[in-house]
Amino acid sequence: MLEVMARADGPIPLDVAFRVAPGQVLALVGPSGSGKTTILRVIAGLWHPSVARVAVGDEIWLDSAKAVKYPTYRRRVGMVFQNYALFPHMSAAQNVMAAMDRADPGEARRILDLVNLQGLADRKPAQLSGGQQQRVAVARALARRPQVLLLDEPFSAVDRATREKLYGEIIALRAHLAMPVVLVTHDMNEAQMLADQIVLIDKGRVLRQGSTAEVMSDPVALRAMGIRELATLLPATIVAHEDDGLTRLMTAGGPLFLPLVAADPGSAVRVRIMAHEVILSRARPEGLSAQNILPGVVVRIVAGQGPAVMVHIAIGGDEIVARITRRAADQMALAPGDPVHAILKTMSVARDHIAR
Amino acid sequence: MPVSRFRRFVLAAALACGMLGAPVVAQDDVPVIAAASDLQFAVTEIAAAFTAETGMDLRLSFGSTGNFARQIRAGAPFEIFMAADEHFIADLHAEGLTKDSGDLYGMGRIVVMVPHGSALIPDEGLDNLAALLAAGGITRFAIANPDHAPYGMRAREALITRGIWDDLQPFMVLGENVSQAAQFALSGNAEGGMIAYALALAPEVAARGRFALIPAEWHDPLRQRMVLLHNAGPVAEAFYEYLQTPAARAIMTRYGFDLPEGE
Amino acid sequence: MDWTALWLSLRLAGWTVVILLPVAIVMGRFLAYRRFRGKGLVEAFVMLPLVLPPTVFGFYLLVAFGRNSPLGDLWQGLFGQQLVFSFQGLVVASVIFNLPFAIQPAQRGFEAVAVELREAASCCGMSPLRSLWQVELPLAWPGVLTAMVLSFAHTLGEFGIVLMVGGSIPGETRTIAISIYDSVQGFDDRGAAIMSAVLVAFSLFAIAVTFWLSARVGRRLS
Repeated sequence: MLEVMARADGPIPLDVAFRVAPGQVLALVGPSGSGKTTILRVIAGLWHPSVARVAVGDEIWLDSAKAVKYPTYRRRVGMVFQNYALFPHMSAAQNVMAAMDRADPGEARRILDLVNLQGLADRKPAQLSGGQQQRVAVARALARRPQVLLLDEPFSAVDRATREKLYGEIIALRAHLAMPVVLVTHDMNEAQMLADQIVLIDKGRVLRQGSTAEVMSDPVALRAMGIRELATLLPATIVAHEDDGLTRLMTAGGPLFLPLVAADPGSAVRVRIMAHEVILSRARPEGLSAQNILPGVVVRIVAGQGPAVMVHIAIGGDEIVARITRRAADQMALAPGDPVHAILKTMSVARDHIAR
Repeated sequence: MPVSRFRRFVLAAALACGMLGAPVVAQDDVPVIAAASDLQFAVTEIAAAFTAETGMDLRLSFGSTGNFARQIRAGAPFEIFMAADEHFIADLHAEGLTKDSGDLYGMGRIVVMVPHGSALIPDEGLDNLAALLAAGGITRFAIANPDHAPYGMRAREALITRGIWDDLQPFMVLGENVSQAAQFALSGNAEGGMIAYALALAPEVAARGRFALIPAEWHDPLRQRMVLLHNAGPVAEAFYEYLQTPAARAIMTRYGFDLPEGE
Repeated sequence: MDWTALWLSLRLAGWTVVILLPVAIVMGRFLAYRRFRGKGLVEAFVMLPLVLPPTVFGFYLLVAFGRNSPLGDLWQGLFGQQLVFSFQGLVVASVIFNLPFAIQPAQRGFEAVAVELREAASCCGMSPLRSLWQVELPLAWPGVLTAMVLSFAHTLGEFGIVLMVGGSIPGETRTIAISIYDSVQGFDDRGAAIMSAVLVAFSLFAIAVTFWLSARVGRRLS
């Protein structure tokens, strides 16, 4: 269990506290300058605010009240820097071995295989692509056998296609991680896809923290982050890949058609459904272009300050959120318990909004 | 640079350092003689003769008398001091830095010397110098620094006696010692200068120009004295004795160092 | 050609470099990484020998450890000989007046090592010493080597301070630069010319090496 508390007045104001269980991923989300990287640096020991406490399991790494302060190199922390900070004069394997207590080339190669860098062990960072460098950085952090894994905007420097691939790999890697993971990102999609817990930060203050599902459907918090980010994750299973370039999936509410998904039939995925892309209808519509029509039941309606309301809809045992105008909700006279259909355009689901 | 190559480089560098050896030079038994610059050629010759005869080595250092006196006071490890002016010896003796009061080894003389092709003509009355000076034909004239070099002091006295010191001042070039003054005087960048007779007699110098002896009455005598310093060892003492042998005296005479009657 | 003087100069330059190497690494690294009040003052102090006239410097050195000074007496008591007019005295003077040549380029070399890399080294569990050996020095070495080359070359050519503090004692303090001076005064132009050519060759070599090394640092920074 990682416990973090940090308070400072300046130069960067901070006031945060959170806990992360082993194997859990916590995302620190906020705009640039909100202090999220600073918090990561506090955990790593690269910065010390006036009042702070960082504890990992039984070890207390930092406690300003008791004047306990472990230097960074004595903390078992694995840090993936935003620009990777790979040692330019060392090969990938040597970079990985640099983090080991005892340099073990065999183990280095094993870890590099784990992050899909087979055969590239002897290349220097300058000879690797951005995505490959990022994976070396992750491998190096893991080689430390860290008690906490810290990722500082690890995907911001790669292009979108690579990013999608890396999301998949990180999610697959999670099975091997028995430690708390703290991820810093400004990308809500990334946070929702990868994290169990989210802490929304702005100007060093916590706006909202809690499980991903809670935070991502909270309009008050999301207002600060951009209300268009409101979304839910709908679990689905891939049934088959059709001839016309679509993939058919099955959800708790019925079939779902999406543009070709790069996974085998039978795989379980989570689909991120943006609230503002969902159209509601009482009756099952006919003659519509939209392929995805999911029957559900209204759970609750949450009004915001603007012209919109959030309608939480149960699809089988899962829940999605639709964001429609209050006028529409009034016109339709929606109320909790009403059966309703959620309509979603196939083309509105982006490729990086689907993950395992 | 890969890590292993870096380490090999460091090891190589360390090995190179090992070859530096101890910083102490094992030459403590070869004495250093401090001699006034005018003795540059004379003492070199005498020292060579000494080494040839006895097999004992010497180290020679030439410079301005005043400078050496200062260095000796500051603890410089010279074992014999051959000064161009006995006053410096007397002072050091009074401070207990010498073995005794030393011995006179010759009377120094000064000359006016000009390089070949100079507009200046050397004559013992310095008439040509005065005339050329009055006509504005002098750009530079070199002497040793009168502040600490005896030959510089005597040059000044002679020029004062002749009455052209003040007029010559703006064109004066001062050498650190009389050797450097000679160097300046004969470099072609000056019309000439006033230097030591002993230097002018040396073949290397004589070949570069012409000179005329300045009357001895125009300046205080250059009573050149030598002394064994308090830390002098047996080799130094041997050389000191050798300097007073007929063979050495003959060389001295050849360089214009006569001993006054009765000394 | 005064081989004794050349060998003396090489030994003087060599010892200067040996002593200044750890100084350059420690001080260069310290000034590169730390920001503190009064840092400008320390840097200016290190620069001082660069701008001070050599004779002023020589004068102060004589005052500081000549005969009858506390340091001079201490040395005399410990080693039985004077610090001035000795090779050891030249080494002491040389180490001091080469400080700017040793520390500044080393500092630039360490500044070229990105802060992130040092932080990454810490996160990899490297103690500061291990980080210095495995990460920082392999990256900063062009700066450190430039510092040593410059100090070496500068010592070979140093004249005024050596003359004031050491005199011109053959085999002890008569460096090749002084030997050239003595040769000119002694009307030995040929000897002076040969020794000057040797020194010029050394200096050109030092410049060439320094340029090559700066190019390497430049490439690394970009």
